[in-house]
Amino acid sequence: MDRGPVAFRTQLLRRKPIAAAKGPHAGPELERSIGTFALMMFGVGATVGTGIFFVLQEAVPDAGPAVVVSFLVAGLAAGLSAICYAELASAIPVSGSTYSYAYHALGELVAMVIAACVLLEYGVSSAAVAVGWSGYFNELTGAVLGVELPQQLSYSPVPYEDNPTGWVNLPAVVLVLLCMLLLVRGASESARVNTIMVVVKLAVLGLFVVVGFTAFEADRFDGFWAAGAAGVSAAAATIFFSFIGLDAVSTAGEEVRDPQRALPRAIMGALAVVVTVYVLVAIAGVGSQPVEEFESPEQQSAGLSVILANITGSSIPGTVLAAGAVISIFSVTLVTLYGQTRILFAMGRDGMLPRRFAAVNPRTLTPTYNTVVVAIVVALVAGFVPSDYLWDTVSIGTLGAFIVVALGVLVLRRTRPDLERPFRVPGYPVTPVLTVLVCLYILSGLPAVTWLIFGVWLAVVLGFYLLWGRRHARLNEVDAA
Amino acid sequence: MTIVAGIAPGKPDRDGVEYAALLARSAGTDLRVVCVVPGGAWPTPLPGGVDREYAAYASEAGDRDVAAVRALLAELAPDVAATVLAARGRSVPSVLIAEVAACTATLVVLGAGADGAWGRVVVGSAADRLLHSSPVPVAVATRGFRAAPGSRVGRVTVGFRGDSAAADVLGRAAELAGRLGAGLRVATFGVRGRTMYPPEVRGEEDVLAAYLEQTARAQRQALDELGPRGLLPADVESVTSTGADWAEAVGGLPWGPDDLLVVGSSPAGLVSRVFLGSSAAKILRHSPVPVVVVP
Repeated sequence: MDRGPVAFRTQLLRRKPIAAAKGPHAGPELERSIGTFALMMFGVGATVGTGIFFVLQEAVPDAGPAVVVSFLVAGLAAGLSAICYAELASAIPVSGSTYSYAYHALGELVAMVIAACVLLEYGVSSAAVAVGWSGYFNELTGAVLGVELPQQLSYSPVPYEDNPTGWVNLPAVVLVLLCMLLLVRGASESARVNTIMVVVKLAVLGLFVVVGFTAFEADRFDGFWAAGAAGVSAAAATIFFSFIGLDAVSTAGEEVRDPQRALPRAIMGALAVVVTVYVLVAIAGVGSQPVEEFESPEQQSAGLSVILANITGSSIPGTVLAAGAVISIFSVTLVTLYGQTRILFAMGRDGMLPRRFAAVNPRTLTPTYNTVVVAIVVALVAGFVPSDYLWDTVSIGTLGAFIVVALGVLVLRRTRPDLERPFRVPGYPVTPVLTVLVCLYILSGLPAVTWLIFGVWLAVVLGFYLLWGRRHARLNEVDAA
Repeated sequence: MTIVAGIAPGKPDRDGVEYAALLARSAGTDLRVVCVVPGGAWPTPLPGGVDREYAAYASEAGDRDVAAVRALLAELAPDVAATVLAARGRSVPSVLIAEVAACTATLVVLGAGADGAWGRVVVGSAADRLLHSSPVPVAVATRGFRAAPGSRVGRVTVGFRGDSAAADVLGRAAELAGRLGAGLRVATFGVRGRTMYPPEVRGEEDVLAAYLEQTARAQRQALDELGPRGLLPADVESVTSTGADWAEAVGGLPWGPDDLLVVGSSPAGLVSRVFLGSSAAKILRHSPVPVVVVP
């Protein structure tokens, strides 16, 4: 074998040692200062609004009024996954994302599979969110200034069903590039702004619910089950992305007082709040207009705001909502783009990507090269692909990652029973198994083309790993030494 | 080779004089203390002679400053060969720059401004302008700086950031350390970025760790280049210090009373000369020891 000192099979299964992860930077240990309630609010803030601004017009045509059930199913999957995630995160105290946990817990190959999923979860979702932002942005400028960008400059050229097409989605591209500038300058500056944006987000959703219920008619819920189980699972798959962010709670595990009690309570509490908000929004939306209206091209771009305009006959509530959406969705793009750069950064440090991805600009202390590359790719995706393809791809990536995490909990309990786990999944082994089952059920609702895209993407990532990353992995040096 | 120290009109402060004497003693050079006297040449004589009256008042005030500085030096540093003189000019920085050019000085020393905390480096208005326009390194004392009688600079700490400009600064700091007969400490300060909210991915520890590794490599490389050319003092150490903010990072290093900190100016371009970069400005603000800013 002239492939170097490591046998192929060993390499695919080898894990990054946990001790090494604590690394040379022996910074101060994080203080355990967060209580259950603060953590719960954390989760609510991170989750609500990520997708709710776009989800109704995507999901209601699939499921009809039963979209309410889809919300519950998707929420259940997200909550269960977050609990599994919390066990991994607490057992492996490293910074980073699912990718890092997987590398430490499950080996190099699984880490690469997760990386492929997580790149969809963050990279593609920042593109998708930017596209959604573009719709609300147009709605806002139209209402306030009376000027809207021409269709050529606000829609992507790829057709999806009978949605309008154009040349490029310019606002989405500009948004991504703006976020890039902020991230290159330094991410810390945006932390507080983000908190304000979360409050704005909750306020405008409150506005929607209040106004929406004034037009509520119970008979709009007739034919509740008309779409059947297939419709419900298809809608749940699309909705799933709006629960991304709940796993933020589990990453705070290191800073939580009494994690064994606080984590599951916070996750469940946050989930309850989020599901309540979403279901209220869904009921308000479905109750206020006939199901068919959700498919109109107008609503495809700025759903909630158009609904409000239709209900009140006045443009003011819709404009307020569009303004809130424009502000808050900006923050979501920023955060997801940020997540994407830091995941690639971790991969660059592990040698899975060229080291330039892990280079820090000494002037700004940010990974400039990495950020620019990510932003350009995401801007291209946002400019030229319609959001419907993007959201389904985000969901499949996230669900894939969550399934692997749940399996990881099962595997680690068997292979490393001695590992210290500050948080253990309650109801083991039912919880992780149930997580896998629910995620699989939701996945079954995704269209075939999404599976195809996902398969191709997974093949590309693994191909890159086999041809390049495998030879450059940093663990090679450690093993050789 | 000379060190020029500047005294603003009516402010014969002890910090600056003491710091300048310490530097001159360590470097074994002579010290030239310039007491700036307000008022340059008046273009036209005024009726009633008020301009001459003012000039006479100003030179009297200048003489008082010179006398005060001489007394201070005689008390604090009788061993340093010092010349104290008054010089006329419209602004402190322009007089000092002219003086530096006239006597080919290698360093300008200023006291701390009055508007800041004790024990901190306070950049006053004159120092601020000098930082922007001086062709030679500018030394600024901490507010209330005091040195033990007969003491010398023991160690020069240089802030090292890891870009190409940092290698230049390191070279200049090594030169300065050599001249002062002091050891050299190469320090990299890392400040951990605040976590984004919501923190779905926590990457800042990684970024900081990568930065420190990267800078450590650059440090080794820069030192390896200086070493063979005989430009390094005998005593060289490398340190890194990290923290949640600059105060923690800078304060995290052990500092002694005979320490001195060298920071580079911004590598933004020739035009900006010793224009301070944002990191240099922050390091300077939190430095507990006097600093030298090199262009």
